[in-house]
Amino acid sequence: MTVPDMTVPEIVARVRDLTVQFEVAEGTIHALRGVDLDLRRGEIVALVGESGSGKSVLGATLLGLPPSSRRTRVDGEVTVAGVDMLTGEQQRKRLTRRHLLGAVWQDPLSSMNPTMRLGDQLRERGLDEVRSTSLLGEVGVDEPARRLRQWPHQLSGGQRQRAMIAMALGADGRLPAEAAESTVSIDDVHGAPMLVIADEPTTALDVSVQAQVLLLFDRLRRDHGCAVLLVTHDLGVAASIADRIVVLYAGQVCEDGAAADVLETPKHPYTKALLAARLSAVDDAGVRSIPGAAPNPLERLDGCSFAPRCASAQQDCRDSVPTLERSDGRSLACHHPHSAVVEVALSTRLPRNEPSDEVVLELRNVEKTFALPGWGRNRMTAVADVSMTVHAGESIAIVGESGCGKTTLLRMACGLLAPDHGTVHRSTTTPPQLVYQDAGGSLTPWLSVGRQIEERLAVVGVARRDRPERAAELLERVGLDPRAGRSRPTTLSGGQRQRAAIARALASAPKVLVCDEPVSALDASLAVRVLDLIDELRAELGLAVLLVTHDLAAARYLSDQVRVMYLGRFVESAATDNLFSDPVHPYTRGLLAASPTIEPGRLAPTLKGEPPAAAETVVGCAFASRCSEVEPPCLEEPQTLRPLPVSNRSVACRVQFRDRRPPSA
Amino acid sequence: MRRAITTRLVSLILVVLALTFAVFLVQTLLPADPVRAFFGRNASPELIAQKQAELGYDQPIFQQYFGFLGRVASGDLGNSLQTRRPVTSDLANFLPATFELALVAAILAGLGGLVLGVSAQFGSAGPPILRTLAVTLSSAPSFLLGILGILFFYRRLDWLPAGGRSSIDDPPDITGFFLLDSILSLDPSALWDGILHLIMPATILAVGPAVAIGRTLRATLASTLETDHIRSVRAMGVSERRIITRHGLRNSVGPVLSVAGLQVGLLIAGAVVVEVVFSWPGVGLYLSQAIRVSDFPAVVGVVLVLAITYVLVNAIVDILQLAADPRQRT
Repeated sequence: MTVPDMTVPEIVARVRDLTVQFEVAEGTIHALRGVDLDLRRGEIVALVGESGSGKSVLGATLLGLPPSSRRTRVDGEVTVAGVDMLTGEQQRKRLTRRHLLGAVWQDPLSSMNPTMRLGDQLRERGLDEVRSTSLLGEVGVDEPARRLRQWPHQLSGGQRQRAMIAMALGADGRLPAEAAESTVSIDDVHGAPMLVIADEPTTALDVSVQAQVLLLFDRLRRDHGCAVLLVTHDLGVAASIADRIVVLYAGQVCEDGAAADVLETPKHPYTKALLAARLSAVDDAGVRSIPGAAPNPLERLDGCSFAPRCASAQQDCRDSVPTLERSDGRSLACHHPHSAVVEVALSTRLPRNEPSDEVVLELRNVEKTFALPGWGRNRMTAVADVSMTVHAGESIAIVGESGCGKTTLLRMACGLLAPDHGTVHRSTTTPPQLVYQDAGGSLTPWLSVGRQIEERLAVVGVARRDRPERAAELLERVGLDPRAGRSRPTTLSGGQRQRAAIARALASAPKVLVCDEPVSALDASLAVRVLDLIDELRAELGLAVLLVTHDLAAARYLSDQVRVMYLGRFVESAATDNLFSDPVHPYTRGLLAASPTIEPGRLAPTLKGEPPAAAETVVGCAFASRCSEVEPPCLEEPQTLRPLPVSNRSVACRVQFRDRRPPSA
Repeated sequence: MRRAITTRLVSLILVVLALTFAVFLVQTLLPADPVRAFFGRNASPELIAQKQAELGYDQPIFQQYFGFLGRVASGDLGNSLQTRRPVTSDLANFLPATFELALVAAILAGLGGLVLGVSAQFGSAGPPILRTLAVTLSSAPSFLLGILGILFFYRRLDWLPAGGRSSIDDPPDITGFFLLDSILSLDPSALWDGILHLIMPATILAVGPAVAIGRTLRATLASTLETDHIRSVRAMGVSERRIITRHGLRNSVGPVLSVAGLQVGLLIAGAVVVEVVFSWPGVGLYLSQAIRVSDFPAVVGVVLVLAITYVLVNAIVDILQLAADPRQRT
């Protein structure tokens, strides 16, 4: 995982003692508290940290675009190719961005001008049609010439992110003489940017497309020798392509070293904790959540920022801020790197309840189609012929990529949407309760959390005088201080909001709790704790849990049963352990293989392509277009879920039946 | 796209029906009797009754209304009780003047709004002063501005005429739009004369809409400039000027168009007052005289035309919005 050319790597960007502060009504937010960083030519550096660690601020500052506000204070030194990106002349910074830098952002849809054709957007980068077409082709956009005339919304998510990468690559690497400030040689990178800043470039993408895009970054670095700063919250993404990992915590670098070293022998307690808290789809090792919460960004630090959460913290950790010490090519900011142990509770799945016979929810052959916009009578099938039985105390995960129909399915399960065909049967009149991905958005911002819970209690007929007490009980039940009931959602942290949303969902004493991506907006350490809470509620209240997610790791962690969904159909249905130890359907296998792991340099094998547009009519197996085992009959015979002999599961793939047929049959 | 246009046309018809009916209702509720007003106090009751029957005023309101609708459909708005000419030919005389005034005012409002909205992004000392001036002007009633304008620019400075559309005895008249006609007949002095006459009324009419458009544009542009895709082009080193003109304005056009549509609609209504102050021979002046003498056919005709214009302007705005946002076109 190193650049073939092993000449002395030159530094393309240099950050020294960078401090960024914002004045807000409550005080001063310390976004970055003295960061040092060097980026070398051809190097992929992953900047890893949880939300609020300052990683995006650092990326933006390198572009000379720190969060703009009159009350932002930026101190220190940031240079790119010798150009001062902090205090330099505006025009000089702009020309540096134009000629030497590229940027790729998290959400490719909102990051492209919605009212400008792709070709015109590429022209804003100074690229003519010939160059645009060849760049789009290089990053793997199919039919590049036709795409130039399309609008961003007409492209798929993966194509959009590839197009963004093409735009980033459009920098020509030639800084005009009037902008050059120093003697840094940039001759070698003509025709490509010197540095690409990629801020969570794969977070909004499906796992199969994520793997493709990461491969692309790796190839670009090799082909063009540009440095890449990969800002990410996911150590798995960092592990797959980064040469170096820089761990950021509370606006400070706590560890910086070669990717393999950091992942295999982490030295900083926070790095260790972060690795231990990572849910994995690929192995079933226990997960340890990090106790406590990240320091308040409004506070000045007198000691080590991680000390309050560190098991081996001593008095000096609380009294003095450790400096970043460099030795053996690694940098570490820790007073006691050798004694640091991660001593936090190992989260484990709670014991399974006795299998219950009580069916709380049953879907039989449900189907839902939606009219497509436009003139014709075209309809897209969101869910086709899905059956599922949910027992009390059971947790079932429905996994699939965006657009596979999982949200439509759960809306039908909750009675929010009527199926076109088939039946939905619930054992009680209390509908299943929903917990959403974005707790902040699902809670009413101007009502206190307690009031919102009491409203739900009123609906199920709890007497007015009993409501405050019941609400307090529910808040305690989800691990919140009952006093939190007086707070508005905006004053709570992300994890607390998700707990409040769960408490509110429990108010009507539902039999089924439906969780739609409940932790994908949360940092790793918080995610585990919320999943633990859901599991606890399942075990203690006998709740059935329906987890809808694209995150295989969360599904593996929480569920007893998994249903893999592709284009509106279940393609594999199995007990969780069976499914993850022996995935059968080619799609399931592809998804699992594409899931990032923390194995350094393991570039995830990819599923080719993206799911076909939902509007397309598919004859035969819907997955055939991406399948590596496709055979001519697959294109003609529609596949339905059937029990696969001797493997305790059902699968919708004819190839598997042929291969696994018992010898006697 | 085509479906959107169809919807607009249907709503246009519904709005016109509702409006004409409302005007009819007002007619029956008002104490003034058009026939009595026409013949004067001394007319005999028999004559009035006979004339009322002749004109259909004795029929039930719905019957009168449907009769009226039938005539409108065949292009007959009745005769004005005051001018004793068909309302349609009166309208043909007066409408071009109003449309010319409104069109010029609308263009001024758009340009003014653009300047007010964009100037905030270039943060020099000029814009706040300009903005304060514009807000002050727009909060004054237009008749007051009109009178002050006449006192200052006509009486005091004698830079601009006090009223009317033209000081030439026989201005070129081809389409009824004087500016256009002077250009068509290659008559620069008539063109200049027309412009001088238009400056005051059009500016006064434009000030309010300009401020409303400018304010919306300023707010929308400011939030557009905070979006992710603007960050993308900034990161590509596109110049700030180009970011505003090529990316910011284009993506701020939606809310601005909505406000502009409503404002231009209101501007046509506002023309009535301004026309009276400046003796501008348009439908506003015609309407004010018609109301004074309870000339219902004229009032209904004017209301009908103004309403259709208003709804048409907004329908055009809606369609422009579809055109401006490729995501809505599908």
